[in-house]
Amino acid sequence: MLQEFSYLAPTTLKDLYATLKKNAGKAVILAGGTDLLVELHNNWIAPKLLVDIKKIPQLNGISFDRKTGLSIGATTVCFDLINNKDVQKHYPLLADAAGRIGSRQLRNRATIGGNLCTASPCADMGCSLLALGAQVELASVDGVRVIDLKDYFTGPKRTQIKKHEILQRIIVPAEMAGARYGMRKLKRIKGHDLALISVAVARTEKVMRAGIGSCAPTPVVTADLAANSSAEELKNAAYKVVSPIDDVRASRDYRLFMTGEYIDSIHAEMFRGGRSK
Amino acid sequence: MKITLKVNGRKYTREVVENKNLLHFIREDLGLTGTKEGCGAGECGACTVIMNGRPVNSCLILAVEADGADLQTIEGEAKNGKLSKLQHAFHENYAVQCGFCTPGMIMSAKVLLDSNKKPTVEEIKEAIEGNFCRCTGYQQIIEAIQDATGQLKKKEGLKRA
Amino acid sequence: MLDNLNKKSLKYIGKAERRIDAVEKVTGQALYAGDLEFAGMLHGKVLRSPHARARIKKIDVSKARRLEGVHAVLTGQDLDYRVGLYLVDKYILAKDTIRHYGEAVAAVAAETPVIAQKALDLIEIEYEVQTPFLDPKQVFDKKAPLVHPDLGKYDYVEAVFTPVPGTNIANHTKLRKGDVDKAFKDADLVIEREYTNPNVQHVPMETHIAIGKWDMGDKITVYTSAQSPFTVRNLFAHAFKIPHASIRVIIPYVGGGFGGKAGIHLEPLCCCLSKVAGGRPVKIQATREEEFSLLPCRSGLIYNIKTGVKKNGKIVAQKMTMYWDAGAYADYAVNVTRASGFSASGPYEIENAWVDAYTVYTNKPFGTAYRGFGHVEFSWGVERHMNYVAKALNMDPLKFRMINALKAGSKSMTGEEIVENTGNVSKCMQAVAESINYGKLTAAEKAREKKTGRKIGKSVVALHKAPAMPPFTGTVMILKLNEDGTVTASHSLTDYGMGTYTSLAQIIAEVLRWPIERIRIPIETDTDRDPYDWQTVASKGLLLSGNAAILAARDLLDKCYDVAAQALRAQKCDLDHDESGVFVRHHTAHRVTYQQMAVGYAYPNGNAICGPIVGVGRYIAQGLTNLNKENGQGNPALDWTYGAHGLTVEVDEKTGEYHLIKVASAYDVGCVINAASVRGQAIGGMIQGLGTAMCEGYIYNDKGQLLNPSFTDNKIPTSLDIPEEIDCIAIETPQIDGPFGARGVGEHSMIAVCGALGNAIEEAVNADLTHMPIRQEDVWRAMQKKAEKPARKARALKSPGKSSAKEKAAKAPAKAAKSPEKAKAKVKAAKAPAKAKKTEKAEKAPAKRGRPRK
Repeated sequence: MLQEFSYLAPTTLKDLYATLKKNAGKAVILAGGTDLLVELHNNWIAPKLLVDIKKIPQLNGISFDRKTGLSIGATTVCFDLINNKDVQKHYPLLADAAGRIGSRQLRNRATIGGNLCTASPCADMGCSLLALGAQVELASVDGVRVIDLKDYFTGPKRTQIKKHEILQRIIVPAEMAGARYGMRKLKRIKGHDLALISVAVARTEKVMRAGIGSCAPTPVVTADLAANSSAEELKNAAYKVVSPIDDVRASRDYRLFMTGEYIDSIHAEMFRGGRSK
Repeated sequence: MKITLKVNGRKYTREVVENKNLLHFIREDLGLTGTKEGCGAGECGACTVIMNGRPVNSCLILAVEADGADLQTIEGEAKNGKLSKLQHAFHENYAVQCGFCTPGMIMSAKVLLDSNKKPTVEEIKEAIEGNFCRCTGYQQIIEAIQDATGQLKKKEGLKRA
Repeated sequence: MLDNLNKKSLKYIGKAERRIDAVEKVTGQALYAGDLEFAGMLHGKVLRSPHARARIKKIDVSKARRLEGVHAVLTGQDLDYRVGLYLVDKYILAKDTIRHYGEAVAAVAAETPVIAQKALDLIEIEYEVQTPFLDPKQVFDKKAPLVHPDLGKYDYVEAVFTPVPGTNIANHTKLRKGDVDKAFKDADLVIEREYTNPNVQHVPMETHIAIGKWDMGDKITVYTSAQSPFTVRNLFAHAFKIPHASIRVIIPYVGGGFGGKAGIHLEPLCCCLSKVAGGRPVKIQATREEEFSLLPCRSGLIYNIKTGVKKNGKIVAQKMTMYWDAGAYADYAVNVTRASGFSASGPYEIENAWVDAYTVYTNKPFGTAYRGFGHVEFSWGVERHMNYVAKALNMDPLKFRMINALKAGSKSMTGEEIVENTGNVSKCMQAVAESINYGKLTAAEKAREKKTGRKIGKSVVALHKAPAMPPFTGTVMILKLNEDGTVTASHSLTDYGMGTYTSLAQIIAEVLRWPIERIRIPIETDTDRDPYDWQTVASKGLLLSGNAAILAARDLLDKCYDVAAQALRAQKCDLDHDESGVFVRHHTAHRVTYQQMAVGYAYPNGNAICGPIVGVGRYIAQGLTNLNKENGQGNPALDWTYGAHGLTVEVDEKTGEYHLIKVASAYDVGCVINAASVRGQAIGGMIQGLGTAMCEGYIYNDKGQLLNPSFTDNKIPTSLDIPEEIDCIAIETPQIDGPFGARGVGEHSMIAVCGALGNAIEEAVNADLTHMPIRQEDVWRAMQKKAEKPARKARALKSPGKSSAKEKAAKAPAKAAKSPEKAKAKVKAAKAPAKAKKTEKAEKAPAKRGRPRK
């Protein structure tokens, strides 16, 4: 790249927090690099310091506990999420969503935390994690705080993360383990592409939610609906939270139409007992 | 910064600037020009190398991140002056035209075959999806990979009418 | 064919010989321009304009010049040179006028790319931004800003082109055959419609790259990823007034070209930077984003076709008006206009034809040669139109095509008589129709429809193309016999993927009767070492260079026979040759080996005769003429390659999503030289064509700025996007003057597949599309509209281009992404959604909420 920057790779969380505090506003986090290096390539950013968080073992890996749910370390790459046995068994929606990100090469590097921190409106993990009612754990020298993912996104590429904070892990509630699900992603080609829209629905015996991407300034989620809500009810809930636009990728009308179509088809599948395509 | 890594089985220790990506490092610092730059933004796959057993876009990795890594590039595919089965299959099945995508394509195919001895056509297509080819239209590449795994029963040919 | 040999006796011709250049490619050992490094090499970078049209008020490079590590900084003020293939209209760097988004404004050469970028960041420019001219259909608007106010002062090739100074018309190609007005009056139906497609980029996997060195005494060396070394040399010589012999152009392995590298692009800039830098080599490698805006693309096209037909299906008249959105510079676009002009009807006989093809300057990245040279763009219109007219006649579209297909005895639009050996387009159509079971759904297809709920549609389309080249296009091949009985070829056709070199090796092997392994054709071409070839474009390489190869091989043999005649004391007519040498036909043991002759034959006592053996073959196109500028008549075509596609598609009636089930392609190649190579070209071009059809296309805002200058939003097909089934068929109607009867097929595979897709989708779900790319959303939108009945259209469209207010309103959102004006509408739509959307909402309300589920 053509920008000059320093590079640090702390090996402990303590060092990481201290580095971020010291360099707040000047440092950018390097996880998978699949967004960051593109921004550097295009000369969209000129950071002074890159802080590589991949050498911190606590930030990587997946664990599952029947009581506390799924914990995904921020630097877990898509490929590992897809192939994790607990994810496949208890939260297959996440494996589905991660499997739709980019190409094979990208999935070997792109991290779940990174996807959420870039916080593009089309973030592929956004709608699925929202549908599952996920939370994110943010940490810094000031301590740790957990916030709901639906409150985490504040605007296009904007989040609640403070300048000296790090997104440490993603928590998916235990009560969503085993949820029925469906996911669709609208693309321009069958090969890798960003989502023109993405819809993820998760349904347990108690609740049903739809997370939608690329239809608003951030990924959004419907209110919690009753588990046996109709497709119509789910769509109406979705229409309440989306506000798609026209852009070079798709028109507002088509995005709205396809949101409805996807919800219809996912709903039909879930209630027929099928798995997502 | 000093980094040490293994490339095609050989150990390298080098001083490298922080802002150089792995692709340029391989090409310029190690002189391995087989891996190509097609877009610099992780879309086209021309820069695909195998890093710790997985195919990655080397244009999206800083050289400093590869400290301690085990890499394979196209230069490591042929052994003792002999083409690998995969390279041979690409040659036999006309899977090469301009050749610019070929190194990255072979790297992706290699990882597939390392873990899947008899991939289906769908699995092959999915494995090379992140490698653009503008010349061949992919069909002969898919046939080459099938051939490398002994699955090409009948060689598709040009029909005559 | 030059060699009238029995097909069965051919050893190499027709086989799928392995490529002679694949080993170095599969090992990564092949060296492309970007892999080359030279002592003292500097890195060049270009500063590009963010505006589509502007005046440069002030440019200050002083800070950049002072930066340590910078060896050269240039602006347009430093370079008073213009280049142009046919119309010399382009400064190497914009002088005081910006004409397109991404145009090169300044360039630096520095010791590292980082320093070069820093230097660019230090350049201070003040622009006076002006309103760009973006819609080629406004070309007759007298108030439209002029892209080239000095058009009247430019040099151009007068014999061929007609610029119109004082306008934005870089060229106007006319064709007048017969009497269209009378024929329209006699027609039973007159049907008119317009078809459009956007700019598209070649997307070679290797971007443009050049390394230039300007030494003392004006000695220039260029290494470049290019298609035509002699064109680079020639244009350089003309632009800088330097002798040809002082310029050396070397082309190593090339990572794809597709026409984008056919001319001259980065080379002059690299060399000029080198001159300032005291002769140090300067490398400029385009980033992918620069590839999409700094480097040229393919012109867009607005194509209006008005057809008069009889009830029996015979076309009696056709009026064709093309507005080529050629961008800021004429480059190849003027020739694309000409070549498309004379081919504009497709492979159908038009007794009375009228063509007006305009190369229109607009403030956009300019169009250059692109595989198909205009034919992909206009074929979209032609093939959609053929279906549209067939519909009006209530006739099957394939039957309609068969009735009108060019055949022996037909006359082309330029007055050329088609003969048996020109080729057989009807046979191509029949072959693909059979392959896809056209006209019905098979049991399996019916079952598939039932299972998926999606609709299947099929289409057959046809195409033709002749090489677009000067009538005096020629080439040379030299074969040098090596001491060990191998041969090394020297020529300047380039092989950037097509596989022509392998085919040439087969041709040489066939004539020499040698194993192909003994024939070496080096990939690199060098204007100092290799003899002339015009350009590697136009699908003419196999024909012209193949003939030159045969002649060179024969010449080589002739010289070998001279030696053998002396050494064996025989008459040449009693000699023959095989893979080891030349021998007396009736005493085969009496022979001289190639090794004995290669560098001179020596008798046992030491006397030597004949000297080193070199075979030379030259071939030039025969009997071609320029086109009459008034009526477009003449003989421009070296050969015609015909082809056809059959396409089966499955479409979701609700969402517009579609899948390609099968594409069958057939080409009349005259004679298959290398079966795998023909198949490779057939499939590769077809997928590239599908890229145009499905997902490619530049999108501009109303300021002429490119909104999708990278792979993020400028998609190309991946391995997952190819049809489920692909069928490739070769027809072999021999080209009498082709090598073994062969003709080219490099471009043809791309030409008509777009129309095939559009037609098949319409067949499946009645979605009528006249613009590309055909995105899923476009199919959906078109399905809402329901295809218009042509007869109504015909009556309504007395004056071209005007539709009823209702149709306009209904179409407005659908056309949003289409032409630059509509891009404006699209952007406008985003800002004022209420307006454009009202009508559409009214039309589509049932689709959104509360609609009963099927």
